[in-house]
Amino acid sequence: MATASQLLPENTFRNRFLLAWERIKTPVFYFLLFFWAILCLAPLYFTLVFSLKPVANAYTPPIWFPIPFTLDNFRTVLQSFDLFPRWILNSMIISLSVTLLRVLFCSMAGYAFARIEFRGKKFLFNALLISMMMPGIVTLIPKFLVIGPGFIKGGLHIGSLVLPTGFNLIDKLGGVVLPSFVDAFGVFMMTQYYKSFPKELEEAAIIDGTNRWGIFFRIVLPISQTQLLTLGLLTFQGEWNNFMLPLLILRSPQNFTLPIGLQWFRGEYYTLYSTVLAGSLFNTLPILILFFLFQRYIIQSIATTGSKEG
Amino acid sequence: MKSLFKLTSFLFVAALLLTACGGATPTPATPPTPQTIIQTQVQTQVVEVPRQQVTVRLSGWASSPSETALLESLLYKFSVENPDILVKYEPITGDYRQAMLTAIAAGTEPDVFYVDIAYFQEFAKNGVLLSLDDLMASTGTTKDMFIPSLMNAFTYDGKVYGIPKDFNTLGLFYNKGLFDAAGLAYPTDAWTWTDLQNAATALTNLSDANKPVYGFCDPADAGRFPVFVLQNGGTIMNADFSDTTLDSEQAIGAAQFYTDFRKNKIGAIPADVGEGWQGTVFGKGQCAMVYEGGWLIPYLTSSFPGVQYGVSRLPAGPGGKGNMIFTVSWSISKNTKVADAAWKVVEFLTNEASQTTVLESGFALPTRVSLQTSDYLKNNANSAAIFNGAYDNAVPFFWGPAGSDVNDQMGKALERIYLENQPVADSMAQAAAEIRKAIAQLK
Amino acid sequence: MSKFNRNKALENLTGYLFISPWLFIFFTFILFSLGYALYLSFTRYNLLSPAQWWGLEGYKRVLTDSLFLDKALPNTFKYVLIVVPLQTVISLVLAFAMDQKLRLRRLFRTVFYLPSVTSSVVISLIFVWLFAAQGIFNQLLGLTVNWLNNVKTAFYIIMGMNIFTTSGTLMLIFLSGLQDIPESVYEAARIDGADSLQIFWYITIPMLRPIIFFVVTVGMIGCFQVFDQIYVMTSGGPLDSTTTITYLIYKWAFRDTTVKMGQASALAVILTLIILVVTLIQRRLIEGSGVSNQ
Repeated sequence: MATASQLLPENTFRNRFLLAWERIKTPVFYFLLFFWAILCLAPLYFTLVFSLKPVANAYTPPIWFPIPFTLDNFRTVLQSFDLFPRWILNSMIISLSVTLLRVLFCSMAGYAFARIEFRGKKFLFNALLISMMMPGIVTLIPKFLVIGPGFIKGGLHIGSLVLPTGFNLIDKLGGVVLPSFVDAFGVFMMTQYYKSFPKELEEAAIIDGTNRWGIFFRIVLPISQTQLLTLGLLTFQGEWNNFMLPLLILRSPQNFTLPIGLQWFRGEYYTLYSTVLAGSLFNTLPILILFFLFQRYIIQSIATTGSKEG
Repeated sequence: MKSLFKLTSFLFVAALLLTACGGATPTPATPPTPQTIIQTQVQTQVVEVPRQQVTVRLSGWASSPSETALLESLLYKFSVENPDILVKYEPITGDYRQAMLTAIAAGTEPDVFYVDIAYFQEFAKNGVLLSLDDLMASTGTTKDMFIPSLMNAFTYDGKVYGIPKDFNTLGLFYNKGLFDAAGLAYPTDAWTWTDLQNAATALTNLSDANKPVYGFCDPADAGRFPVFVLQNGGTIMNADFSDTTLDSEQAIGAAQFYTDFRKNKIGAIPADVGEGWQGTVFGKGQCAMVYEGGWLIPYLTSSFPGVQYGVSRLPAGPGGKGNMIFTVSWSISKNTKVADAAWKVVEFLTNEASQTTVLESGFALPTRVSLQTSDYLKNNANSAAIFNGAYDNAVPFFWGPAGSDVNDQMGKALERIYLENQPVADSMAQAAAEIRKAIAQLK
Repeated sequence: MSKFNRNKALENLTGYLFISPWLFIFFTFILFSLGYALYLSFTRYNLLSPAQWWGLEGYKRVLTDSLFLDKALPNTFKYVLIVVPLQTVISLVLAFAMDQKLRLRRLFRTVFYLPSVTSSVVISLIFVWLFAAQGIFNQLLGLTVNWLNNVKTAFYIIMGMNIFTTSGTLMLIFLSGLQDIPESVYEAARIDGADSLQIFWYITIPMLRPIIFFVVTVGMIGCFQVFDQIYVMTSGGPLDSTTTITYLIYKWAFRDTTVKMGQASALAVILTLIILVVTLIQRRLIEGSGVSNQ
């Protein structure tokens, strides 16, 4: 028979620590979060201060507040190049296309690697991991060749046929989308997410006789909304700021993306940071807006799907 | 859910359509509109465009919007005078060298492009550039129309491979306000190393606890230090760039003089005052004298308009005068299919009218000898000082096939002297040894 | 064909159809690029004239290069060993904090994501100002160290910058994983008498294992290939204290007056092998024991 003293938790150091933890847990978390939040806000704050001061006052005190105040830098950014709206449009087109395609294809491939048994799966997954390990600097030129002129000059001659060895998409937005519409990191991420999914849902459907396509599109995909949104957001941001390869592919100024166009404000020998930082805000803003919008969907999806009954 | 499937497939199709439609439309054959930041001037002129138009692709690194506007206004003038040639301007806003090397390796380089003196020889040696002698003869352009040191810089193996488009040298920028406060006479072209040192000492005495002032800025920069070696009667490399002379007495002496400014606390490096570039330090008034190129002039005009300053030619050292030339050429690709049209563009951009326009914009110095006596230079002593630096025993900023290693080692030698207090002679000897290793690896 | 074989064949086909887009990219871009880089590693190539076969000379030069052996290699390993654990732990803690039912969660989430989205130019500038000799950091602690111009400390500033920038992204990834853990599992554990520490250690972490493996692997691959911050802020200096393997590759491929593309490719192949070996070791440690989730 249990005595009263046996029912109470033992007065060990561990239990005392845990009790104390339960009490101070919330303030500690809040402090952590506020501290980190201030660190995160600092760069944006300084960007704002710098952009709102005239170029001639960039280095004069005060550095904490934008006095004197001006919107000239933003005006400069918007009016220096009449292609500015076009650049935003180009960035939008590329980032949206890549995001939509990538979310779909990476989740499909991720699901296959996580759940479908097909021959050569292990080998291909390892190949996928290895493909991420080669630094991008040495793959720039071969990628450029495949997107554009082809790795054999003049095409591959077979008999009287001349096969092109490249896609010839230089200076076209499609040339930026093509190598990015599926990506090893995305596939890897979705694979890991789907691996930790409870199997019971699918098993019920398999017994019912649904095929893989149905299971994926009707059951798995809707449930993985959070992960899809996360992948979509990260893809959008990465593709928006993608610089190295698009710089090589896009030649005419009217095809530039916004980051490439904004670099135009950097001079040969010196940089007017007031203008550059003002321009960078135009670059950051669309992503932040998208993030703030999608955030609500992530919370919503948790509310609707609720707890997943394992 | 069926609706989700429908939504997914719709999104998928939409994405494909977006990509397909988002392609580039062919450029219409209208001249580009020139702009300035302050106001947009739209000029249109009715011009007969012949049915057959030759396209010339022109590229360079993207400078600030105002400099771009200048280039585009020149290109516009060209297109009006030559309606049968369409110039496609393809600026590269990121790493220019990386983009050009990739394009050359892939065979997609433009027809006309900038070539910096630093890698001009590499391009010429490897057959990347078209020799221009015949084309020059066809329009009566001769080599002596351009400043000799610049023309020679872009001649390889007896043939001309680029027309110098502009150049810069180093000048002694001095803060008039600080000089007045210290009661010193402004620098003249007759200054020597001793004058420089004395002035730096006097100017540093102006500093107080809140606002430190340094007389001179001596950064660990391979783009500044070599002029001291020249002024001490030495060289950086030997004549054919097969060996370095950085461990010579003259080079060590120059390094000693240069680094002593900071050692004796009458000079500073930008990092000491929390900056990355001495131009900003000068503008803020924390450094009374700097050796900088003509690009500092437009920077000060926009970022520090209140600073009263002057520019004089560099002081002479025990070995006389010395300076460096930073220059860029317009060159034509060897694989171009439109050589004649490309040459027309290059010739136009470097003719006297265009160079006068560039000169008067204040952004760069012309390369034609005829403009040495122009009114602009007569009325702008600062720009004239930079221009005349080309005649002060100025060598091009180029050190042979191992040039980047030479620059790296010079910078590191100075860094070691500053950060690790290494003795100057040892530091230079170490740099020379590393450079020799790098040269040996080129075989 | 028996029903079993037909199903297996169908599974195979479905699997391949599902990965066909990725397979397409893999064959057209990835395989070709890797093969090209591998080929170039055996050549002497200056990008301006055709490549010449060089055999193992490129590898020999890389493995005897003092900049590689004394600076790039140890710097890169130091970077990985410090940054990967730190960024994983920090982002996990942040995600865990965000998973608690605290107020202002949505605001915090957006704010934490800011560094990942702010341009690296801005963050570099901020860090330069923060850690300058008269910067705020020194003023707060009463020091006058020039952090970024100091051979001993510059690298740590770069590390701090990287951790700061990636924390938001990794926090998001962990958060998605955390929110997938069913509430019922937690309830069952609490009924069984587990306290929060036991729940965290014996339930949360194991259920997150595939995500942790992802974050650590991707973090490691990213850290081994660290380049952007160094390119923007220090160009490998001062005195090569911030030179990493990838920066060395870039220097040989695009910065040197005489381009050494063959050598750069050889170094890239060596780096790939290093990452591969380390990933295999790490996989054994993290995922090896959790076979049930495979």
